[in-house]
Amino acid sequence: MTVLTEIFKSTLPPPTRKSERWKYSPIAKLLNSTLSTDSSEIDSGFSNDIPPNPVAGLEAYRLVFRNGTFDSSLSDLPVAKGVICMPLSEVSAEDAPEFKNTYSKTEWVGELNESYQQDGMFLKIARNIKLDRPVLIHHLTDGKDVASFPRHFVRVEEGGEVDVVVWSSASKNSSGMYNGILEASIAPNSTLMLEKICNEDGEIYHFSHENIIQERDSKFKMHTFTVKGHWVRNELEIISRGKGTDSIFNGAFLPTGNEHVDNHTTMDHTSTDGTSSELYRGIMYGTSTGVFNGKVFVRPDAQRTNAFQQNTNIVADRGASINAKPELEIYADDVKCAHGCTVGQFDLDALFYLKSRGIDEKAAKALLVEAFLADVISNVPSTELREEIMKIYTERHGW
Amino acid sequence: MLKIKNLHAKVGDNEILKGLNLDVKPGEIHAIMGPNGSGKSTLAAVLAGREAYEVTDGMVELDGTDLLDLEASDRAREGVFLAFQYPIEIPGVSNLNFMKAAVNAKRAHQGQPPIKAKDFLAKVKECSSLVELDGRLSERSVNEGFSGGEKKRNEIFQMAILEPKLCILDETDSGLDIDALRVVSKGVNAMRSPDRAFIVITHYQRLLDHIIPDFVHVLSNGIIVKSGGKELALELEAKGYDWIKEEQNA
Repeated sequence: MTVLTEIFKSTLPPPTRKSERWKYSPIAKLLNSTLSTDSSEIDSGFSNDIPPNPVAGLEAYRLVFRNGTFDSSLSDLPVAKGVICMPLSEVSAEDAPEFKNTYSKTEWVGELNESYQQDGMFLKIARNIKLDRPVLIHHLTDGKDVASFPRHFVRVEEGGEVDVVVWSSASKNSSGMYNGILEASIAPNSTLMLEKICNEDGEIYHFSHENIIQERDSKFKMHTFTVKGHWVRNELEIISRGKGTDSIFNGAFLPTGNEHVDNHTTMDHTSTDGTSSELYRGIMYGTSTGVFNGKVFVRPDAQRTNAFQQNTNIVADRGASINAKPELEIYADDVKCAHGCTVGQFDLDALFYLKSRGIDEKAAKALLVEAFLADVISNVPSTELREEIMKIYTERHGW
Repeated sequence: MLKIKNLHAKVGDNEILKGLNLDVKPGEIHAIMGPNGSGKSTLAAVLAGREAYEVTDGMVELDGTDLLDLEASDRAREGVFLAFQYPIEIPGVSNLNFMKAAVNAKRAHQGQPPIKAKDFLAKVKECSSLVELDGRLSERSVNEGFSGGEKKRNEIFQMAILEPKLCILDETDSGLDIDALRVVSKGVNAMRSPDRAFIVITHYQRLLDHIIPDFVHVLSNGIIVKSGGKELALELEAKGYDWIKEEQNA
């Protein structure tokens, strides 16, 4: 066990509201707590109320982590030609991946992850290999004032294809910090699909950061669902390094109570003929607070880029709020970039129309919410995952 | 069936209905005509339960039930249907799911189990052919990308599915070409029955060539100023509304 007394004395200062990137996501309360990592053996089972496979019916390979420690007995690793999948701690020195992203050098959160790094997934898909089932990483936070620092690495070689699901949960009464990083590099003509779901009880400060590097003609498709979480910050950074890449990244968040959800995305087009499509939708209930910040860079050499960004938010209750900010920086002249960002309320005309046919207000709102989320959720590759996410949203919001 | 007594309603500070009385019996068709701004659409909205309209006085009863006490959805379950002048587009909600939810809401209200999928589809088929609504339209998102005529036909389609007691048609003829007008009227006429009543709000006599009313009322400045048989509509078409105003002032 490591008590993180030195946590706030890292080389980089913790973010404050003075920094634009953190202005609406203060972490002062976290900084006042004393956290420890938990390296105890998993002896008394995984969790009382959360199954190792959180998605009923989803047939997936599985890597289970409890407070950052890999649990081999609950995991089911793929054994297939051309697929290397194992906990990072078991990778030999010569195969160890070289993490390339600079997040740990520039951000306090990233530096913490590097300093206290625990375990994670190492996944390599060889040339032209398509893995038959998704790989599910399930991270459970269980306990008081627990900090965990997973770090995952994914490499898809030319023509390969894989679907990775990162699911984080936390048992009731848990508290602390989840600080996870996933780094992926996608070779020419290969495909990575990534679904990230946060469904945490308790009071966890959840920081997760994905760094994706795309090479020529590769495809990346990501969905980020914040289903439940006390304080969640999703950071996604995609760098298109070769021509003709395709990046699709969608997200949905429906915080309630006094939850906080922050989505920061960066799409960096550095090469020609790339396309990107981003759609984030949020409904803010209760006194929840939200942040959306979507940056799109089109560098001077990234001619014929076609970038699309849309962020649509509904503030459902009087006490809720969201700060939304699209940022486009375009340095090439032959590009197509469309973006839209709105904050509004439920469409009262649509609501009345539904009610005038006998559908009560609650059911009418549920229909409108389902319609609102459809564009985000319908693209999730796995039906079981789609249904599970909708099921949790439905139960949570009592539709 | 429907009794409206001394109905007063306002939007914001603007009083629009100023003591309206109307009595509608089962099987009857009442046409309501009147100049722009006389309160016709307000009457429709107030009956359907639109929240922006505040009823300040009077009563509305449907078969003895006080409608003004009910939410819009409960009024619909009691059998009130409003065919909108401007039907709303709802992207992402399929027309069929919408209708199924509506049918089942009404059935639950009446203590019946949800409709069987087979029965529902048969009903959809029957009702869409009644208004010549392309089967594909019933599967699309509610009114999204529908032409003006398709939207109005979709209103009558929904009316046919829900089988209301009281149908209120708010300028259903506006924006319709002659063929669509004929189709919509055919749908309405097919639904005429001794237990069902219609309130048809329109500016033009031509709709009443197709849907023949039992009574025609002229609404002006928030009250019904003249009532008559179907020939009143012809007279209005020929002479406009000024003579009624003069008659009032005399």
